[in-house]
Amino acid sequence: MRDSAARAPWLFAAPLLLVMAAGFVWPLLQALINSFHPNTPQGIDAGQWTLGNYARLFDSFYGGVLVRTLRISIMVTAISALLAYPVALFLARLPPRAQSLVILAYVSPWLVNTVVKALGWTLLLRTNGVVNTVLRGLDVIASPLKLMLNEAGVVIALIPGHFIFVLLPLWAAVSGLDPALTWAAGTLGARPSAIFWRVVLPLTLPAFVAGLVINFIMNMTAFAIPMFLGGQRNLVASMLAYQVNLISLDWPLGGALAVMLLALTLILVWAGQRAASFLTAGRGLRP
Amino acid sequence: MIRAINFAMLIVVLAPVVVVIWMSLTPTSMFVLPLTQFSLRWYREALSYPGFVDAFVLSAELAFLAAAITLVLCFLAVYGIVRYRPRGAAALRGFFTAPILVSAVVFGIAMLQFVNRIGIYNQFVGLLLAHVVLVVPFAIRSLEATVRAVPEELEWASMILGRSRLSTLLRVTLPLCARGLVTGFLFCFLLSFSEVTTTIFMTGPSLQTLPVRIYTYMSDRIDPTVAAVSALVVLVSIVVLVLLNLLGGLRRLTSQ
Repeated sequence: MRDSAARAPWLFAAPLLLVMAAGFVWPLLQALINSFHPNTPQGIDAGQWTLGNYARLFDSFYGGVLVRTLRISIMVTAISALLAYPVALFLARLPPRAQSLVILAYVSPWLVNTVVKALGWTLLLRTNGVVNTVLRGLDVIASPLKLMLNEAGVVIALIPGHFIFVLLPLWAAVSGLDPALTWAAGTLGARPSAIFWRVVLPLTLPAFVAGLVINFIMNMTAFAIPMFLGGQRNLVASMLAYQVNLISLDWPLGGALAVMLLALTLILVWAGQRAASFLTAGRGLRP
Repeated sequence: MIRAINFAMLIVVLAPVVVVIWMSLTPTSMFVLPLTQFSLRWYREALSYPGFVDAFVLSAELAFLAAAITLVLCFLAVYGIVRYRPRGAAALRGFFTAPILVSAVVFGIAMLQFVNRIGIYNQFVGLLLAHVVLVVPFAIRSLEATVRAVPEELEWASMILGRSRLSTLLRVTLPLCARGLVTGFLFCFLLSFSEVTTTIFMTGPSLQTLPVRIYTYMSDRIDPTVAAVSALVVLVSIVVLVLLNLLGGLRRLTSQ
């Protein structure tokens, strides 16, 4: 009886474990293994082992693409960080029904596929697009602005696309705050700005940091938006991965790129969690 | 000031979707502003383009099967974790939600190399496997709340009255989880239906889902037909979202 009770949960989990092993662990291991083999005109040379694919990622071309990807991602995350608190605090003060409606509005673009959003932003930002037409109609500008096929276009389109990942955890943290805390700070004479900096911010910082990490990762690996809004002249890591894997069919190099992106993600998540627990522990506070 | 920031942000978030729908209703073949007349001709155009129709059917089949398979697998696994609380419960949960940490691009590359290695490139089963893995984390999270909400006493009562564990699971637990299963299904369907990046990386030329077909079409040209088919995709998302909201599933999903 004891024995079967110990085995039962694993029997229930076994089908999913099998599927995950075949469809998740194996593919990632396959890419990892491929990344250590040299690529030859005849295909992957499985008999040889090399670190050459990783070394290539840091040459001037690939390194340049990586720097651009980082630059765009940091811009998007920084602007999202500035916008997050005003929006979350405003949201948390709305009546509950309005709150869920606005949250729904913020969530809904996430559930629409990114190709459609890329199409929308192209229609908005191109030379004869909606934004330029409206601005010219209002005589704000004389000649159309170049709003896409550059890094600015990618940043503009990525901010609203990934804002939800910062907003949702922060909104949950802000609306979970005990109202008595801010009230108490107020009665003790703290001005609204002091209440924000010394009460609200420290208590919600872990959720904020967690959201920023997710936002940054999503920016680093966005594909359709940089493809259409940035164009081939502004290659980012994901577009490079597409070229390497599907056009030059250099899977060892493509595998190395995937492993590096994954490693970067995991390091960031780990650092984010460490930062969050440091921020809570350091102040003797629990969120 | 804060009100203005919020208002502007909401407009920017919704603008791309609104503009796609708006442009799909243009009567001419160019997007001319301001739009004063509306027409549904591009919808007729989109629906008579076999590439889009085939892709829609494939996407719907894929999303339906991926959601159904994921739900069955995850319900069993969550039931095992929640009811038996095995020693490795935290590790299991971590493993099942791990695909969230792997970005769509990385997973797409891995899947591409994997399906080629085992010889199922350009086959439906490979695509299905990928979509199942992609939605598993969301199903696990949503079903965990569902199963936890079922009072264990009801299952004990059923088993004391002579039903086996399996029969109790099917006749007592499953019906009580019906609502959570339906919302979980809808959410997984929506995620799979709108998945782009992983699918673009791993799919073959004869297996293009609707978002991938729109992507290849857009790489070639941007015209009102592609706006119309995109608007139809948005419509599917809105219908599923409204259903989710009616069932109260959205509140739970956003609160996690």
